[in-house]
Amino acid sequence: MSVEQKRKLIECCNVSKTFQVPGGENQVVKDFNFVCQENEFICLFGPGQCGKTTLINLIAGFEMPTEGTITVNGRQVTEPGPERGVVFQNITLFPWLTTMGNVEYGMKTAKIPKKERRERAQKYIDLVGLQGFEQSFPIQLSGGMKQRVGIARAYSIEPKVLLMDEPFGALDAQTRYLMQEELQRIWQAEKRTVIFVTNNIEEAIYLADRILVLSNCPATIKKEYQIDLPRPRKYTSPEFLSLRKEITSIVDKTL
Amino acid sequence: MKKKTFNIAELICAVISLAVFFGIWHLGTRGELGKLMPGPLPVIEKFLQTLFGGKIGSSTLIVHVAYSLARVMIGYFIGAAVGIVLGLSMGWSPLIEAIFAPLFRIIRPIPPIAWIPISIIWIGLGEDAKIFLIFLASFCYVTQNAWSGAKNVNPEYMNAARMLGAGKSRILFTVVLPASIPPIFAGLQVALSSCWATVLAAEMVRSSEGLGWIIIAGMNNNDMNQIMTGILAIGLVGMMLSTIFRKVEARLCRWNRSEN
Repeated sequence: MSVEQKRKLIECCNVSKTFQVPGGENQVVKDFNFVCQENEFICLFGPGQCGKTTLINLIAGFEMPTEGTITVNGRQVTEPGPERGVVFQNITLFPWLTTMGNVEYGMKTAKIPKKERRERAQKYIDLVGLQGFEQSFPIQLSGGMKQRVGIARAYSIEPKVLLMDEPFGALDAQTRYLMQEELQRIWQAEKRTVIFVTNNIEEAIYLADRILVLSNCPATIKKEYQIDLPRPRKYTSPEFLSLRKEITSIVDKTL
Repeated sequence: MKKKTFNIAELICAVISLAVFFGIWHLGTRGELGKLMPGPLPVIEKFLQTLFGGKIGSSTLIVHVAYSLARVMIGYFIGAAVGIVLGLSMGWSPLIEAIFAPLFRIIRPIPPIAWIPISIIWIGLGEDAKIFLIFLASFCYVTQNAWSGAKNVNPEYMNAARMLGAGKSRILFTVVLPASIPPIFAGLQVALSSCWATVLAAEMVRSSEGLGWIIIAGMNNNDMNQIMTGILAIGLVGMMLSTIFRKVEARLCRWNRSEN
């Protein structure tokens, strides 16, 4: 039993988000309430266009909530910032920078001295398993490798929270399994609070401490699951499969 | 290995195509046509003979080339520098865009050579007038591309930079500028051809040296050989410029090569 003191890191309070669209309004998130503890791995799981990405954008500070407040590490979110590292769905590496350049970008912005910056960048490049590709440009890397750079870049600014928006959605099935294992290994080596958006139930059960099942648009929390299976988890263990069956049945009803 | 054989095949094709071209030219000008048009041998002979030694007008051919190139380079680089700064600013700041866009939209469609009379009246017959025309040719293309490049930067790159803590000015220099380099280079390339065309036009109107002068003076003296020598030089210099340009671009945009 771990006896470490857990503390609240993210708090969403009655968060709603409505977009103005031609001919009316589109409510994407409705009365969203949740609290996330430090070093917790949370998966937001829900159907296709249910507003998961909007939730990530709200916590990241790219969008402002129409109602309610989001607090991260005791401060209300008003803009993006380096205490919230984002791993993007479309990866979004800077194509004109090498692996090293991408991972160093945030530290350069923070004016961290070159020596420390290099060492820290190298540490995270090694952590995601990309040693030897420091001087490669994104165009020379495969999809999985690019997303490793994306993870290293988000880790490099040593954020309080990592926000991952379907980071493996664009990868082929094989690479996706591999990256799930890799992310789990990286996360166990360097614990961070993670909010991970996915529409893949296996991915959610494999990675999460807690799964928030979202209803269809507008997104609200339909149900919560605490996942206490020991890590690393096996996709084919009976506990895994029964959880999968249970959560899938819930989601099917909401569709 | 494979690449090398391909290069040899390419070289053979190039030699054959040039040989056939000069062969047809040579045979075609042996008959009646030869009275109107010199064959390749006299042209090449005149080209080599005047390149460093003999003179056309007041100077050797290489000096004429240097005159034309110097005019192009000065106008081109000033136009490119102003165009990049103005274009990026227009793409970056809605206020600057609102001020300059209407003006620029009117000036841009005017071909640089349409300014020749005005430039002579305003600036005179000297170098400045020619450089002004070349400046316009370069400036319009580069501004246009830098502007649309900066305006169309993928907003996700901006979000990524903001997430990593970058402020406005850092985003301008580390995201908007590098993301706009490929469109800026496309503009620079068109601008270079346009500048090369403009300098010739300007020299044909009023000049006593330069490649444009060589061909117009050749026409006035009914010296076909001189005209063809000038045209050959224009082609060779243009080819060299675009080769150098592609090398620079390949170096600066190596992160982008398979997208272009």
